[in-house]
Amino acid sequence: SNVCHVAAPDLAATSRPRKADKDEEEKPLQAVLVADSFNRRFFPITKDQPRALLPLANVSMIDYTLEFLTSTGVQETFVFCCWMASKIKEHLQKSKWCRPTSPNVVHVITSDLYRSLGDVLRDVDAKALVRSDFLLVYGDVVSNIDVSQALQEHKQRRSMDKNVSVMTMIFKESPPGHKTRCEDDDIIVAMDGKSKRILHYQRAQALKKLHFPMVRCLEVGSDEFEIRFDLLDCHISICSPQVAELFTDNFDYQTKNDFVRGLLVNEEILGNQIHMHVTRDGYGARVSNLLMYDTVSSDTIRRWIYPITPEANFADQEGQSCTHSRHNVYREPGVSLGHGSQMEENVLIGRNTVIGANCTISNTVIGANCVIGDNVTLDRAYIWNRVHIADNVKVKQSVICDNVEVKHGVVLSEQCVLAYNVVVGPDITLPEGTVLSMHHPDEEDDEDEDEFLSDDNDVGYSKDKTKQKVFNPAEVGSEGKGYRWKSSSLDDTEEDELAECIWGLALSADPESDSESEVSEGSHDLGSHPASPELDDVKVFQNEVHGTLQRGLDENISCDNLVLEINSLKYAYNISLKEVMQILMRVVLEFPFQQQGAQISTAQYSSHLLPLLKKWAPVFKNYVKRPQDQLDCLASMEEVFLECETHWAVLMSMYQLEILEEEGIMHWFNQGSTTDKSQQLRRNQGLLKFIKWLQEAEESSEGDE
Amino acid sequence: MELQAVLMAAGGGSRMMDLTYNTPKPLLPVGNRPLIWYPLNLLERVGFEEVIVITTKEVQKALSTDQRLKTDVKMRLDVVCIQEEADMGTADALRHIQQKIKTDILVVSCDLITDVALHEVVDLFRAHNATLSMLMSKVHEFTETVPGQKGKKKAGEQRDFVGVDVTGKRLLFMANEADLEEGLVLRKSIMRKHPRMLIKTGLLDAHLYCLKRSVVDFLVHNKSVTSIRGELVPFLVRKQFSKSLNSQNATEDTEKNQKQQDAHHNFELLSTSKDEALLQLARERSCWNDHRGDMSEAYHGGKLRCYVHIMEEGMCYRVNTLAAYIEANRVVPKLFEDPPIHPSAVVSERSLVGSDSIIGPSCQISDKTSIKRSNVGTSSIIKEKVKITNSIIMNGVTIEEGCNIQGSVICNNAMIGRGADMKYCLVGSGQRIEPEGENGVAASTDPLSPPPPHPFNFSTSPPPTFLSSLSSWTRLFGHNL
Repeated sequence: SNVCHVAAPDLAATSRPRKADKDEEEKPLQAVLVADSFNRRFFPITKDQPRALLPLANVSMIDYTLEFLTSTGVQETFVFCCWMASKIKEHLQKSKWCRPTSPNVVHVITSDLYRSLGDVLRDVDAKALVRSDFLLVYGDVVSNIDVSQALQEHKQRRSMDKNVSVMTMIFKESPPGHKTRCEDDDIIVAMDGKSKRILHYQRAQALKKLHFPMVRCLEVGSDEFEIRFDLLDCHISICSPQVAELFTDNFDYQTKNDFVRGLLVNEEILGNQIHMHVTRDGYGARVSNLLMYDTVSSDTIRRWIYPITPEANFADQEGQSCTHSRHNVYREPGVSLGHGSQMEENVLIGRNTVIGANCTISNTVIGANCVIGDNVTLDRAYIWNRVHIADNVKVKQSVICDNVEVKHGVVLSEQCVLAYNVVVGPDITLPEGTVLSMHHPDEEDDEDEDEFLSDDNDVGYSKDKTKQKVFNPAEVGSEGKGYRWKSSSLDDTEEDELAECIWGLALSADPESDSESEVSEGSHDLGSHPASPELDDVKVFQNEVHGTLQRGLDENISCDNLVLEINSLKYAYNISLKEVMQILMRVVLEFPFQQQGAQISTAQYSSHLLPLLKKWAPVFKNYVKRPQDQLDCLASMEEVFLECETHWAVLMSMYQLEILEEEGIMHWFNQGSTTDKSQQLRRNQGLLKFIKWLQEAEESSEGDE
Repeated sequence: MELQAVLMAAGGGSRMMDLTYNTPKPLLPVGNRPLIWYPLNLLERVGFEEVIVITTKEVQKALSTDQRLKTDVKMRLDVVCIQEEADMGTADALRHIQQKIKTDILVVSCDLITDVALHEVVDLFRAHNATLSMLMSKVHEFTETVPGQKGKKKAGEQRDFVGVDVTGKRLLFMANEADLEEGLVLRKSIMRKHPRMLIKTGLLDAHLYCLKRSVVDFLVHNKSVTSIRGELVPFLVRKQFSKSLNSQNATEDTEKNQKQQDAHHNFELLSTSKDEALLQLARERSCWNDHRGDMSEAYHGGKLRCYVHIMEEGMCYRVNTLAAYIEANRVVPKLFEDPPIHPSAVVSERSLVGSDSIIGPSCQISDKTSIKRSNVGTSSIIKEKVKITNSIIMNGVTIEEGCNIQGSVICNNAMIGRGADMKYCLVGSGQRIEPEGENGVAASTDPLSPPPPHPFNFSTSPPPTFLSSLSSWTRLFGHNL
């Protein structure tokens, strides 16, 4: 066998010094590519095509991601698909990545059950797919970063401090105001300059003031840290296999943000750390909204992502090899350009596209087999395949999907989206931000029933419904076909704290917007702090609980969520559990007074309160568990009812709803009381009756046994 | 004249009362020079010809009599006395001399000993037309054991947090740990302008400030500000990003009054040199910018700017604690090329004086005495067979024969009786330690006890009796006396 070994073809491997961790080093680099965004940001476009397959400079986004992975040395990639998985699978099978010569072996794993990044990583863990450190990216990441240095640093950290650092996030420098800065992803990071460790990570998008907990920010033994607001999260991370395990252990982690925040907050408990790598020269960005789509497309054409350029035809698709000429004008074969038409700069035109006369085209991408009429002006237009644009059309910073027909005289203002197969015109001006789709906005609601965002259900079943609706000529023109999507219907408040729209936030969102707070701050400069009347925490908490319950009633929020909200309030105001219980009881009991006024009759009171009690019984049960809790509850009740003792019937309902138990009630009743009033209360007829009934019930149940 | 120098030398030295009880802080001997000599020398080295010294009567007297100061300092000293009882802060003092101030000022504290290239601070001030530029240094770890202090370092001392931009020069943020219990809060608008901020701790504020003249005018109008470091500097740092400087639209009446007042004060703060318009024009025409990333104008249009020069190497001490005092005494002699033994000192040939020690003028060192790593001040008398290591002997001290003194500080005119053995002690000025046998206390430490030795400090409040001094120094004496 010795001879055999020497004769092995891999001479490089045998000549290398044998190390203990040699196996570790030689494991091929793996990647997990998540080809689903798990949000509806690109709706209605992604109703017909998954985001990963949308063309960016005439190449599907997932091809950029795979090219990046391959060029950075990944040898095995797991592509996880959910929404329209079959389309992605089909695309990949036809691509160069599935040819036998591909240096990067691509496995496609599909499931309808993935709802988040967390689900994917839990599946990675369950299937034991990764053996060593792996790259984690989304299917809409465009990058040319060489991660090998970051990978080496990551491995070094892990070997030095066994398994403490679990993740290295890759960032690109892009200070505020930089074109390739994604305002949706406005992150602020506190890091240790020497160790590159992330100490604090926060999305600062909605914040005016940034808060850094000192405990975490100043590492022991270090006397400085750095706060960075000039970073763009490339959404590329180097993960150790532990990351997948941690997602399994913490089943409430859904997004990477959850994971990072969870890990940083719990760092002292779990002992895991996250590090970062900042690239200055590399390019890495995620196409997370259409503004980023615009930015990344134009960066591609302006060759910022070299060597990934349009003429490189890295996806190796037939007929896509284009020529590159001055002012970044790229043409694929078969393009015909009419007399007097100008391609000014940064223009990419797909194969067999015909352009009429006297057109002005700049900063624009046009797909294959399009027909463009005469006197058309295109600026920052992204026109996909087989689009027909008639004469005298003007388009500014808009996206026009496959098979769209734009009739003559149409003007598209900034940030319009014409989704698949839409017809617009003639002679109509679409206002800024118009989104048109063949899918009616309401059909989304029908699908919402199952609440899942990434389902592969055929949208066809609602077709008949769509047909009943008519196109509004005021929106799409007299011969137009399509429905207008209002941006409000795109909001996904539950998905994320941000109300997200397809274009995302404009870059220069007026940095002085917080001037008001600054003014007020400036005015109390010299120690003359205005005395703000600070409400007592308990009082505030009570108001908040009341608000939460009211909202729960209005919006029909489930009891579980109410408990969650109350718990978070509890932490926010630092309220003890006992107080929570008492305040909750008080708030609920006073609810009918709040709604109907203090002077309502006993009957009215009960009729109002009982449904509420029934509804919120699970909330109470969540807090009232031990015998002592019951006593606390009763004490709080007593306090409320001292004033209006006739409402004691409620106690009965509480008993029936199993919120309070008879031992508790009896104990409270027998406890004796201190004040006259409460003694008087205990002599209340209704109450005595109930107590008596309880005693009898107890005796009879004892008799039964 | 570009800058007027102001030397603040009226501080009482409240953090080292042991030493300053009888000797005002500016006159404490460091390397056999009074402390005030060092900032004066710093100013003279860079070419100041005149300095306004704010100090007390006592120091003024000494300034006019001290030979060394008289011969060494060529600058004209414009001494302004303030009453010790007035309890004036540094900002109060500036207000006090407001009439004398004609230009921008350089404020130095009398306890600063540094070899900084002062132009670094001034250049920042000039280059950025700054309102404030100041000096900081990395905190020195004190290695010596300090009398009266158990353990190496006083824990629990609150740190200052200083935020600088990516160049490390622009001062963006300043706060004390006590203010940050809730965590550090920054406005996003600051981060937009300065997207990379380094938050540093472990910095020593040298209390050296370049200030615009308008700041003094501002102080005149804001009498509530008493201290430069405590109030004025944090205010200026905050004010850099405050919008009210430029905003004109007052909304509510109550705010209006406040604003007008503000506007008035800010006017004071901004009414800088008459060249301002020209500078503005120059900046507009220039392609120079102080930031990367966005295309807005230099300094983002901010008119008020604070800068800091942080010394990465070199020496910088503020002699305001006993530990700093001892450390400074160790380090300072190395800076000078003076002969370690003053020509007027009488040193016996049969004694041993290490090259790491300095002996002041008119000293007498007797036979068989050894002095290592120690400073002996003017007119001190060291008798036979005395061993002094790692100690500071101030002026006019008499040490009788056979004493062993280690790691101690002996203040002015103290008398150490025969055969005393002291380790890590502090003897107050004028104090007498009775000879061995007559007063057993002098034999301070049990030789068997391992380090760090328990310190004994002999210091004094006015009555010269030894015991009465004990009660006032219980803090330092510890429990076993």
